[in-house]
Amino acid sequence: MSRTYSVEPWVVDPLKGFVAEADARMVLLMTPAGQVIAQYGFTRAVDVMAAAALGAAIVSAAGAVARMLDEPVFSALNHQGKQHGIFLAGFDTPRGRMVVLVVYGRESSPGLVQLFFEEFARELVAKCPEPEAPKPILAKDFERDLNETLNALFRA
Amino acid sequence: MSLVNFTTREITCKIVYYGPGRSGKTTNLQYVYDRVPGNRRGRMVSLATATDRTLFFDFLPLELGKISGFTTRFQLYTVPGQVYYDATRKLVLHGADGVVFVADSQARQLDENIESLQNLQMNLLEQGVDIRTLPLVIQYNKQGLPPELVLPVDELDDVLNFRSVPSFPADALNGKGVFETLRAVSELVLRKLSEDRA
Amino acid sequence: MTARLQRALGGVTRVRGVRGALIVAREDGLVVADALMEDIRGNAVAALAASLTRRIGEAARASGVGTPQFLHLEATGGALLAAAAGDEMLVVAVTEVGVNVGLVRLEMFRAAEAVQ
Repeated sequence: MSRTYSVEPWVVDPLKGFVAEADARMVLLMTPAGQVIAQYGFTRAVDVMAAAALGAAIVSAAGAVARMLDEPVFSALNHQGKQHGIFLAGFDTPRGRMVVLVVYGRESSPGLVQLFFEEFARELVAKCPEPEAPKPILAKDFERDLNETLNALFRA
Repeated sequence: MSLVNFTTREITCKIVYYGPGRSGKTTNLQYVYDRVPGNRRGRMVSLATATDRTLFFDFLPLELGKISGFTTRFQLYTVPGQVYYDATRKLVLHGADGVVFVADSQARQLDENIESLQNLQMNLLEQGVDIRTLPLVIQYNKQGLPPELVLPVDELDDVLNFRSVPSFPADALNGKGVFETLRAVSELVLRKLSEDRA
Repeated sequence: MTARLQRALGGVTRVRGVRGALIVAREDGLVVADALMEDIRGNAVAALAASLTRRIGEAARASGVGTPQFLHLEATGGALLAAAAGDEMLVVAVTEVGVNVGLVRLEMFRAAEAVQ
């Protein structure tokens, strides 16, 4: 069974609704730099990161081309394959710009995805809390943990 | 910019390997990919030309483990080194938490190193980032080549490392200096994250 | 091309009680041409009508009755009609209650022939 996963709890309900209505197979919500905010349908966190990196790259490359043409940023991009299509679109929220990557199959269509994406984006903007002030994250065991994890990974 | 989430206790940081063409940025990532246990890394994505030159970027996600209760992940990127790929370099550099500058130690590549370092500084400035505030380490790669072809580390330091950031001699093809470099930039990035939020 | 499609839709919208008509790309669910009253969301009708037609097509094929040629969805406030226009397009109409469905259907098939 596919899993909905979100690092921001307010995203979960709109994401589930969007997946159901647009008949999406996989959805990734991220920052324009490719940092994952929420996902549906991916199985390994590290694969999600690769998809996010590529999705963000497509959007930023298309944005750069738009700037060269003196065009406002493209609102959505769609690539259709035989079995799967991918839809990419960005939108602004109180927490900054976000990008959505949707993978859909033959049970859906670009029209359906576009239609429900617009509702999804509106709902996210409405539910998005104001940005929080930075909080300290790293406790007194920071040094010890940092050394242990780096040693373990790099076998120092 | 690193993404920190308190609900799921996760930190994600972006590290970019920068440097002139053919200095060994992709080789660094390839070595890390080959040596890090499979459960700690994802697939390596390489957007390369037919001749294996980096066209857009290489990407490798790494899972460091838990630090102060936060699951900590790194996204390693390389940029294309050739001068004419500046537009894509800017895109990849966007939102970087730390940079590894991979210099080519060969004497005949010195000008390319200087040009690339200046390009890094300019591209960061364009994004409102002062290079002096960004975690940066320098790697002098290809030190395994015959001594008559390469410059010694102290000479390279004199020309390239005017900020005295951590620098490492390396032979990335054989793995020498690769982990030391990554470890150093990881430490700088996480330390900065800790200081910024203290 | 656009003028030809608009003419084809004109025949459908001239029927009394028709509130709008569209030509829709069947696989994509995107609007190719439309002639709609202001309160009708063309992109929503196109996406959902294409999706509905696809699902009903699957049901029809599973039932062994072939490929659907015409869809008539009667609702409390009117009707949604869809006619196949070759393999790639659909002609879709949104009507009021009590419209002469036979006449709309005839005009929709004429439009379908014109767009192929």
